[in-house]
Amino acid sequence: MTEQYRADVLICTCPACTKAGAPEMQHALKAEVERRGLAGEVRLVETGSRGFCSMGPVVIIRPEGILYCQVHDVDVPELVEETLVKGRIVERLTYKEPETHKAIPHYDEIPFYDKQMRVVTRNCGLINPQNIEEYIAVGGYQALGKVLTSMAPKEIIEEVKKSGLRGRGGAGFPTGRKWEFTRNAPGDVKYLVANGDEGDPGAFMDRSLMEGDPHAILEGMTIGAYAMGAHKGYLYVRDEYPLALRNLNIAMEQAREYGLLGQGILGSSFDFDVQIVRGAGAFVCGEETALLASVEGHAGNPRPRPPYPAQSGLWGKPTNINNVKTWANIPVVISRGADWFNQIGTETSKGTMIFSLVGKVNNTGLVEVPMGITLRELVFDVGGGMRDGKQFKAVQTGGPSGGCIPEELLDLPVDYEHLKEAGSIMGSGGMIVMDENACMVDIARYFLDFLKDESCGKCTPCREGIRQMLSILTRITEGQGEMGDLQVLETLAPVVKEASLCGLGQTAPNPVLSTLRYFRDEYVTHIVDHKCPAGVCKELIEYYVIEDLCTGCGVCRRKCPQEAISGEKKEVHVIDPALCIKCGVCFDVCKFDAVGVR
Amino acid sequence: MSNNGFEPRIVAFMCNWCTYAAADTAGVSRMQQPPNVDVVRVMCTGRVDPAFILKTLALGADGVLVSGCHPGQCHYEKGNLNARRRVTALKPFLDAVGIGQDRLRLEWIAASEAPKVAEVVAEFTETIKRLGPSPFRRRQDED
Amino acid sequence: MATLIIDRQEVHAEEGQTILEVAKENGIEIPTLCYHPLLEPYGACRLCVVEIVAGGRLGLQTACTYPIEEGLEVLTRSPSVIEARKVVLGLLLSRTPNVELIQDLAREYGITEPPFPTDTPDERCILCGHCVRTCHELVKAYVLNFSERGIERRVGPPFLEKTRDCIGCGACTIMCPTGAIETVLEKEAVYKAKPLGPTSAIWVPSMQAIPNVPVIDTDVCIRFRQNDRTEGEIVDACGACQMVCEADAINFDQQDEILELDVGTVIVATGFEMWDPAQLSQYSYGKSPNIITGLEFERLSNAGGITAGEILTAEEKKPEAVAIIHCVGSRDHNAHEYCSRFCCMYSLKQAHLVRDKTDAQVYEFYMDMRTFGSGYEEFYERVQKEEGILMVRGRGAEVSVLEPQNGQKYGKLRVKGEDADLGRPVRVDVDMVVLSSAIEAPHDADEIASMFGLSRKPDGFFAEAHPKMRPVETNTDGVFLAGVTQGPKDVPDTVAHAGAAASMALALMDKGEVTISPQTAVVDEILCAGCKTCISLCPYTAISFIEEIDEKGVARVNEALCKGCGTCAAACPSGAITARHFTDQQILAQIEGLFRVPA
Repeated sequence: MTEQYRADVLICTCPACTKAGAPEMQHALKAEVERRGLAGEVRLVETGSRGFCSMGPVVIIRPEGILYCQVHDVDVPELVEETLVKGRIVERLTYKEPETHKAIPHYDEIPFYDKQMRVVTRNCGLINPQNIEEYIAVGGYQALGKVLTSMAPKEIIEEVKKSGLRGRGGAGFPTGRKWEFTRNAPGDVKYLVANGDEGDPGAFMDRSLMEGDPHAILEGMTIGAYAMGAHKGYLYVRDEYPLALRNLNIAMEQAREYGLLGQGILGSSFDFDVQIVRGAGAFVCGEETALLASVEGHAGNPRPRPPYPAQSGLWGKPTNINNVKTWANIPVVISRGADWFNQIGTETSKGTMIFSLVGKVNNTGLVEVPMGITLRELVFDVGGGMRDGKQFKAVQTGGPSGGCIPEELLDLPVDYEHLKEAGSIMGSGGMIVMDENACMVDIARYFLDFLKDESCGKCTPCREGIRQMLSILTRITEGQGEMGDLQVLETLAPVVKEASLCGLGQTAPNPVLSTLRYFRDEYVTHIVDHKCPAGVCKELIEYYVIEDLCTGCGVCRRKCPQEAISGEKKEVHVIDPALCIKCGVCFDVCKFDAVGVR
Repeated sequence: MSNNGFEPRIVAFMCNWCTYAAADTAGVSRMQQPPNVDVVRVMCTGRVDPAFILKTLALGADGVLVSGCHPGQCHYEKGNLNARRRVTALKPFLDAVGIGQDRLRLEWIAASEAPKVAEVVAEFTETIKRLGPSPFRRRQDED
Repeated sequence: MATLIIDRQEVHAEEGQTILEVAKENGIEIPTLCYHPLLEPYGACRLCVVEIVAGGRLGLQTACTYPIEEGLEVLTRSPSVIEARKVVLGLLLSRTPNVELIQDLAREYGITEPPFPTDTPDERCILCGHCVRTCHELVKAYVLNFSERGIERRVGPPFLEKTRDCIGCGACTIMCPTGAIETVLEKEAVYKAKPLGPTSAIWVPSMQAIPNVPVIDTDVCIRFRQNDRTEGEIVDACGACQMVCEADAINFDQQDEILELDVGTVIVATGFEMWDPAQLSQYSYGKSPNIITGLEFERLSNAGGITAGEILTAEEKKPEAVAIIHCVGSRDHNAHEYCSRFCCMYSLKQAHLVRDKTDAQVYEFYMDMRTFGSGYEEFYERVQKEEGILMVRGRGAEVSVLEPQNGQKYGKLRVKGEDADLGRPVRVDVDMVVLSSAIEAPHDADEIASMFGLSRKPDGFFAEAHPKMRPVETNTDGVFLAGVTQGPKDVPDTVAHAGAAASMALALMDKGEVTISPQTAVVDEILCAGCKTCISLCPYTAISFIEEIDEKGVARVNEALCKGCGTCAAACPSGAITARHFTDQQILAQIEGLFRVPA
């Protein structure tokens, strides 16, 4: 076991770090540790993500709690020499504060983590998810033990209700009440489902959880099964997550071996087992009734509710579906108690929420914060502020069906009700930060385009409504908009929201409605002035050379695919608008920022 | 062809229900047929004992016609099948004793087939004319 | 039982009902598109949305799917409901601008033009799912389904390829509310436009049908077809008729009952069938739905038929010219040589009916007028003189179908014949041709014949015992013929004939005793050797073997069963059987008599 090791080196093996070079670095570390004869003293552990994704490959060294960023194989000899042998910190590998460039070597001092409260992701990045014993060592399955030996099903449900936990999939329905419906539904056969479909583009909260701490989900499900009287569970995981699937499968096998899953759990007479069902590439299958249809083998078309899945779900039986994040909350609620849990968060939204904080902030990655934290804190403290010193413009929350929140609402506390009032949604926890270079009309168009492809097409308002809204927005971004278009959007969007069959259609108009609410002038500028203030909409922008800044280096001229730039060496260059296709390469390559967009 | 005015004597055993009725209709309809046939009515061709046929030939008939309902339509279900068997069995005997099987003819004529009666009678008469008088025939004109 | 409030009025509902069902019961109209009473609620079109203001899931919900609960408060025409329906209809109209159903619904909500740009003017499918759900829930063929998603969503078989699993029942075509589906019969099928035939697999054959109840044609009915096709795997397909029958009178499990009766008299009244005029291709029967037989015309002009008695062509318009052609298939060496007897009278009647119901010019092509009965000649004269009826004495020789003109669906019909009185060929173009086609014996007449020992005449009808003297009897005692089974005849003659048969049958039954022929066989038990040859030969099992007579057992004839064929007598090797009245001695005496030399 671990007694003889004096240090653990935790290496993040999540896809982002893997892409950044973690495997090579890990290989090098192993070799170097052996070479230095440290194999018996220093343990190398593969973990899931700790969330600091923009800083990958990430290495955490314990017991000191040092976090090194962007560690590559070439850095390994120095790391081993300095830190593992001599116990010193390699400053160049530590995190630096963006403004002051101050080095912060200890991970619990890094502001990114400072404001976080890692409850659900408590183990991610700190344990090896493929070893059940590590999960048990950090207190895993204690809650299950408590439940099976000393709690009655009704008590469990009361505890969950008291905790105030709400579904983390997006709708935010009180979890305890949902469990109660399922428990009270007539019938002996009941099912549980864990929704790991995570369809929001770019979202990876569920993925990190499934990869980094699969047992938390399994334990939560087993507790839920006991409380609701279910004996079979389905874990619906999107097929695009091979690592999550692998780790979940390993976890399930090990849990069964240890008597924590399957027949006679922990020696009791309670049976519960789980089967993994893989998704097949449809965003709409994140919607619970479409997911159920998919598990049953049908196409993922949602079904009208009522009847709700708690009454009639899989194959007509009472079924309880929760997001994987919700399930992972359960062991904590049980072991630390509802009273502890409901101290965290706001009046209406208890506990923590995992967000994928991405976009134009310095610290992108996965963050878990208590409900009620303000947007400002999220963006500027946890996120480390705007990248490249740009101006904050908006933050889009909740995935492609969420709304955009402007600067004036930065002090909004993040919880279900406030986000809804502001015209957005909590969703699955997406948070995209945008700066002045984001065109809000284009953003709305972009998300509608995504939703148009993902709509199942069953109901008229969603299928036809999104199509028409997209067509209008596309015209506007191409300079073909008319003032009447805004009225049409404002007539069409609310009906799509009110009359659609499922959540996809019901939330699809959010990007349009929220951008119209907060950034109406941008729409007007597009329509009336035929201009895109953010410089994004290709038909409406023009690339030009800023004469004062141009040094005549000619890089842009050489890179231009259309040969639209002309100029002599060391002389101010000029872009011919007739030939320019607005690809933006010149803008990107100019080291002097001498290419402007208007 | 004409054998100096040889007129065959043919005896026809006709079943009451089919061929006899057809012959009756043929007559009533004035269908032309040679006068060479004498009819013996039986209820069913199944009644025809081979002995009758032999007796008839022995007495000097030049030809014997046995005619009844088509198989499957016998008024008594399968009497005509017995007739068929008996005629089939008798024919080789006629060859063996020098009478010749062509002098015995089995025909199926239904009640609705009146024209066929005339046809068959005409045909069979021709056949017998060609075959000539039966070896048993008494020369009546000599008497 | 629950109480809820719809449009501010209290209504009562049963558990399990939906808002839509309850509204309907209470006379509250809610428009629908994807709802169908025979199918599971779908909730896709969103047209039936109503606003729930209290007691349930607040907001707009589809009435067709939402189950009622106690205390539910619903508004079916609130402003947000109307707004939603307007938008939904506007979106649908933009998708399918030329579908009348959508146009009509949209107009009700004030929309006359598609509010959005429409680039699919020929689209007819509104994705209501009727076809898919019918194919799955009712027909259980599971062929049609939705493929693709979003705006690419479309209906079709798997991979949008033709599949053998489609049973060609046409249910999807019938259920489609917008006419977006066509059932296309493949080449091998012999397509006959039958506008006057059944309109569904379950139908009441006619107003005068006895009994006057619907029958299911099990060759067409989806339930029976699926059962046969899947060899008993799918036994409960469709059943729509049973679902809607309020009297619960439909029983799919009825089996043929075989009744065994011992009877002494049988009356054969198996009637006739219409000869198929398609067998003479010059009449083009089957090439146009406007060429019909006389019987089909009867159906058309019957008040209980599909046109309620109006004389209409297949385009549902009154014809301007009609030709009636006599002797189609009758008096024809290439078909039936006999005359079908009653067609002349009905053809005249039909000409008269056409004039009564339309202004069409009628051309009657005939060879001879056989109007022989009481009042018949007078009727003929009357019709001859009627305005608009032209009698052409000359056989209608050919009917051809012309190309459709002026947006018509079916072309006109050209009838060629000869007017023998004028000695001139005749050619007329008409909208409808009635073929007074031959009648013939039913196709299974041979089976009936062998069952009852009947023989058939050259014309195919059953033979009476004597053409003049015994019209209703047959050669088999106790079996009688009634009606056209014995030969073509019209109604008065049939009634007389049938009455005669009934009387003779009654007379027979009334006697209580049956006189049997004395022509029976008898066994001389002394001569009998007990060989049992005769026993196996008797077709009536009239001979039984009596054991222990004379230590050997003998054959004995039951005179009541014996029919007197004489087969046993001819077969007995011992000469022990005498066929009374046709004894060997009698027959031999006849033969001898033929050859006796006159004294």
